Amino acid sequence: MSLSLRDRHLWVVLAAGAGLGVLGALLSVWGNPQNSGICVSCFIENTSGALGLHDNERMQYLRPELIGFVLGSILCASLFREFRSRGGSAPLARLVSGVFLIVGSAVFIGCPIKLFLRLMAGDISSLAGLFGLIAGVWIGLQGLARGVDLGRAENERGATGLLVPAGFILLLIFLLARPSFLLFSDRGSAAQHAPLFMSLAVGLLLGVLAQRSRFCVTGSVRDGLLMGTRSPLLWGFFAFLIGAFVTNIVMGRFTFGLYGQPGAHLEYLWSFLGMLLVGWLSVLIGGCPFRQLIKAGEGDADAGLAVVGMLLGGGLVQSWGVAATAAGVATSGKISVLVGLAFVLLISLLFRDRTV
Amino acid sequence: MMLRDRFDQLLIVALVGVLIFTAVLMSGAGPRDDNQDAQAANRRFEREMLHQARVAFIERHYSPVITLRDNGSLPDALLKLEELSRTLPGEAHNDLLSGDILLRMGQFDRAVSKLAKAVRSNADYVDSASPLSERPLIESAVLEGLPLIRDRLRVLPDNLTLAKVLKDGYYLQSRLAGGCE
Repeated sequence: MSLSLRDRHLWVVLAAGAGLGVLGALLSVWGNPQNSGICVSCFIENTSGALGLHDNERMQYLRPELIGFVLGSILCASLFREFRSRGGSAPLARLVSGVFLIVGSAVFIGCPIKLFLRLMAGDISSLAGLFGLIAGVWIGLQGLARGVDLGRAENERGATGLLVPAGFILLLIFLLARPSFLLFSDRGSAAQHAPLFMSLAVGLLLGVLAQRSRFCVTGSVRDGLLMGTRSPLLWGFFAFLIGAFVTNIVMGRFTFGLYGQPGAHLEYLWSFLGMLLVGWLSVLIGGCPFRQLIKAGEGDADAGLAVVGMLLGGGLVQSWGVAATAAGVATSGKISVLVGLAFVLLISLLFRDRTV
Repeated sequence: MMLRDRFDQLLIVALVGVLIFTAVLMSGAGPRDDNQDAQAANRRFEREMLHQARVAFIERHYSPVITLRDNGSLPDALLKLEELSRTLPGEAHNDLLSGDILLRMGQFDRAVSKLAKAVRSNADYVDSASPLSERPLIESAVLEGLPLIRDRLRVLPDNLTLAKVLKDGYYLQSRLAGGCE
């Protein structure tokens, strides 16, 4: 089956990819940290900090973009009658996977979206992460082909799929009302942010586009490996890359080089392994951290549990010093990635249907 | 969802009641929880006080060094820092001032290493929003020091110490560039 330019879905995917690339780069211009216009793992760490799950005073801010992703997704899914409460497939495994998605990202310093935003801003130190992500997705696909499967989600009674979106509505209320128990950094990277309503609007728009298109960075890599150029997601991914690259060039944010890049370290092995963990887990649980948020907005309680795990992971990586910095990866970060790899290997052994 | 009987209706009424009560409390129209507000204010106050105390502490202990530095007595300033490092071991400001003085003395490699050590211990030095910010100093160390260190390393490619200094320089460059960490 070949791609047709008359296919409306292809254009939606292209719009989602280009939107993510352009707005991801622009959010940095509007105030978010350099090369981190959109970084789901960094934003999750910031949000965990704002909720008091860690005490790094430089990483506490309730990022409106995350709220926008989930609420944009539920609005769009409801409008197009695609909201469906579902779940029940290996919930605890997904929760722990969420924790390790953030561990892998924190060791690399960025989620898969940020990986490509960094690369499109000229940071070639992120190439190690790119190879790791591709390797992780490839290994994950080998596992799927050999029967590794967390199981299918079933329709659930009681609209459990509404719980995570309701949680994000509560976060929106918190963001606007600013209750006294929330923590907000006044210095450090969390103090750098685009204007609140601009971030929220971008989050909502991208949430809508991602829900309609099913766009996901690791999903694009996966489909690219499986279907080559016949995959619409792969073309969306190219639109994402081009959008980010052109925006960075136009805005004077492109600095080609290996050294001295913002939010980057030179421990390539651990960048590789961190992203390998993220790629592998993403294939197993059906999407990168961004996609988990979008799916949670569509009523997927399993993805919702992964999101809860990500929030928990955001607190842990900061409290335990797992997150890497420009100075490199701490021993606790290296151990955590290895524990994550042990976890995904164990999951692959335990959730394997050997009749396939 | 079918609302069949009186029990369903009771649940709905209770839910609406709880939501209204929550909204009233959140809007601030209900009784104020002064204790919680005070705790939050205390926490912010303590954070701010800790920060100001640190700035005052640094000013008090390191003012003789700064005077010597500003008078141009750079070796004496270094000696004073050496003396202070015994009473305040591991203090990041000691490394920062050492880096500053070494930079003025033209010892770029030692200056860059000291500054990198200071920033690793306290990221406020590269944060424009912090009262401890020393961005211009660190920027000038990177701008002047890095090309010199690179040139020297080209001549002495096996010099491991110099390679480590270069890595420190790249670390500073990366911190100055920003990013989320």
